[in-house]
Order: sequence, then C-alpha cells, then structure tokens
Amino acid sequence: MDRGLYVAMTGAKQIMQAQAVNNHNIANVNTVGFRADGVSFVSQPIYGVGLPTRVNAVASDSGTDFSSGVLQSTGRQTDVAVNGKGYIAVQGLDGKEAYTRAGDLRINADGSVTTASGLPVLTEQGPLNIPPATQVTIGNDGTVSIVPLGSAPDANTQTDVIKLVNPPQQNLQKGEDGLLRLKDGGKAPTDPSVTITSGVLESSNVNAAQSLINMIELQRQYELQVKSMNSADQNEQTAEQMLSNAT
Amino acid sequence: MNLALWSAKTGLDAQNTQMAVIANNLANANTTGFKSDRAAFQDLLYQNVRQVGGQSTQNTQYSTGLTLGTGVSIVATEKDYTQGSVTQTNGSLDLSVSGRGFLQITMPDGTLAYTRDGSLSLDNQGNVVTASGYPLSPAITIPAGTQSVTIGTDGSVSIVSATNKATTIGQIQLADFVNEEGLQPTGNNLLVESAASGAPQVGTPGTNGLGTVKQGTLETSNVNTVTELVNMIETQRAYEMNSKAITTVDQMLQFLTTNLQ
Repeated sequence: MDRGLYVAMTGAKQIMQAQAVNNHNIANVNTVGFRADGVSFVSQPIYGVGLPTRVNAVASDSGTDFSSGVLQSTGRQTDVAVNGKGYIAVQGLDGKEAYTRAGDLRINADGSVTTASGLPVLTEQGPLNIPPATQVTIGNDGTVSIVPLGSAPDANTQTDVIKLVNPPQQNLQKGEDGLLRLKDGGKAPTDPSVTITSGVLESSNVNAAQSLINMIELQRQYELQVKSMNSADQNEQTAEQMLSNAT
Repeated sequence: MNLALWSAKTGLDAQNTQMAVIANNLANANTTGFKSDRAAFQDLLYQNVRQVGGQSTQNTQYSTGLTLGTGVSIVATEKDYTQGSVTQTNGSLDLSVSGRGFLQITMPDGTLAYTRDGSLSLDNQGNVVTASGYPLSPAITIPAGTQSVTIGTDGSVSIVSATNKATTIGQIQLADFVNEEGLQPTGNNLLVESAASGAPQVGTPGTNGLGTVKQGTLETSNVNTVTELVNMIETQRAYEMNSKAITTVDQMLQFLTTNLQ
C-alpha cells in the first residue's frame, strides 16, 4: 500500500476545508459587523511502527480577524457601530451573554431592543427594555435616552446603558452561531472606554482582494495534491507492469 | 456535498435578494411617501469540525480547533423611516406629515391601514379618499358647492361653503407606533399593524410627539438614489466573487476527476 497516496489525499481534503472557510468569508462580504475567519495548516507526523516519515497537513483555525470594518453612515437612529475595539453584549439563544459587532438594532412592540437577528441587547442588569417612546437616542457610551410617548421633546429621560465590553482578543472564541464568547464561558466586565456611534453601521472586515487571492492559491495547492495522488497512482501502475513483465 | 460550494451558493442567494431589495427601492424613488428597505445579512451556523482545547493526548490539548462557517443568509428587511423631503404641490387635498405618524385609511373590509402618502382626492360622494379610492379615517366629507378647503397643521379641516360661510367639518388624526419598522407593508403605499409594531396610538397632529400635517405639500420617497447605486455596485461585485468561488471549486473537482481515473 502506497502511504504517500494517503498523505496527498489528506492534504487535498484539508485544502478543500480551508476553501470552505474562505468561501464563507466571501459569502459574508456584505454582512454587518462580520469578522473574517482565518485558516492555517498544522503538520502532524504519524507515529507508529518505524520512523515517522509521513507528515499529514491538518487544517486548523488561525483565529478570527479582529480588525475593524469600514463604517457606513445610515442615518438610522438605532444603528450603532463600535468605535475601535470593543463589543456589544447580547443574549445568545442559549440564554448566555455573547458579544457582537453587528449594531443594526431594533425596538420591538414590547419595548425590548434586539439585533436584526432577534437577540436581546444586554445592559449590566439584563436585557434592555425601553418604555414606549417617540424618540430614541443612543449616546456614545451606550446610554439610551428617550422622549416618552405623549410627552414634549424636553421630557428627555435616560433609561439604561447598553453593556459594552472589551475583553482581550485571545480570550474570545467564535461560537457555532457566529457570536463571540469568552473561552472560559464567563462574562466580560463592562469597559467604560468602549464607545459607540449611532447612525452608523460597521461593514464586514473581509478583504475581498485577499480572499480571492487565497482562493486561487488554495486551488493551485489542491491541484498539486491531486498531482501527487496521480503520481502515486502512476508509480503503482509502473511497478505492476514491471512485475507482470518479469513473470 | 461540498461545503465550499454550498457556502458560495448561499452568498449568491443573499446577494440576489439584496439586489431585489435595491431594485424595489430604485423603482420607488418617485413614489410619494415611500420608505426605503434594507436587507440585513447574518452569517449562518458554524460546524465545529474539531473542538479547540480537545485532548490531543492524555497530557496535551489541541491549541486550535477547526470551525467551518456555512455561509450567509438574509434574516430581515427593515424599513428606514427617516423623513423624505417635502415638495410643494399647492393641491388643497395634498398633505405631508412632518415628523412621526401615519394617516389612517379604512380598507374595503373595514380594517385600518396606515400610510405616509397624503395625495388625497374626493370620490363622487365628496368623501376624502386616497389615490386608490380608500376613504380616510375618521371619514371627512366635503359638501357639494364648497369654495375652498383649508387643513390646519393640527389636522383640522375647515371649508368655505357655497354661501361663503367658514365651518370646521372634521379633524384628521394620525396614528403612531412604538415600532414603526414592525409595520407590514402591503403595497399601494399602505402598511398594516402587526404583532411586532404594537397597537396604534391615535392623536391630534402636533400633540404627544406626533408630527404636524402640511396642506399643499407631499412627502417624497426617502430613497437616496446615490446610496442605492453604490449598494448596487457592491452587491454586483459580491455576487461576482461568490460566482467566482463556485467556478474555482468546480475547477478543483474537475481537476480531481480528470487526473485520477
């Protein structure tokens, strides 16, 4: 059995997975607040009987790219973008605290404030709820102030403060729902230095050119692996021929 | 099933939907009282192929895992309720709402619908109706032989009758919603109440935070054509990129089948 064939096959399979990660980034090139995923290959020698001559490549996350996306002005009161580093705290579907950069918020009929995907936005105390209002203003530090329904504009009252956090990047991990969470499952403390701007949305931080280059590179590497598989095949064929001629 | 292919396919789908939203906005760039839509994108679920922190041996752990994203989807379209600009028409039954609030319209089935389109006219009974012929609520009837109609900023409708007598004949009321983005658009410039919008808060224009009405003007569409055109370019390029990703994966698989047989 030619073991080289299997090393090449593993390589091809892992490259296809890396291509999937890359395509996921490309698919999310217009997703508000999206953070691109990276992929890297780790060499993994195979130990067993004899020397570890075979080394498989294994695709693995190289983490999430935390650089900022481009800010787009929308003029909508409840669109917010985090300036620089930091995250908005939301409640994930599992009920636990999670973090996002997607700030296209909305106010529901019951007064709860959620993201576009329906996840409640959190304050220090819990989900953010605002009374019926004619005007909602979100301040730089996350303070939500409203003009209550049926009041004059000078009756501006402060309701609550959106929880903004800035845990160290190495402690953050992207979950299966695309939200960021602390690796230890805990809650990050509120960071008063994080500021947000309303009327602005942060675009995806996927670098389109970079992703396209990655795509081409992965394609060619894949072809290289297939070529190796082809060569292994030819070697076997030649050996078989020589042996059958010898008999 | 190849994840790389399907990821790119979701991208094509989402960009296609986004294009439909943009096209609808542009088509309504001249629709009175139209509010532009926006598509909200969200990344789909991730597949955890190898858990980070899993045991690689009894004493060591994998320092990195592998999660594969599965693409993108459009979760919602949201309307942008910013004020459109106001044009002077001098029509006595043209109204624009300046600020919050919607005009109430009685539908043929008796339910109420809401609109920002104030291009009103009269039917053969003298009732004030929308361009589609649905009467305003509360109903206002202009008697025959009326010389002129005046609508105040507070919505009061007064007329000068055939005998040159000024009388107030009705009051236009506006409805406001806690979550106006939750209103459901039904076409014909009309919106209807939904579970997400909350119940209407009806009041006199100019009170309780409601906007005022202005006779002789119409609110234009709030579609910003420049923004839409830029969005269109962005969407087109994103679509091309996803299509390129599909071609690439296709070529990879093709290379595999032609080289290994």
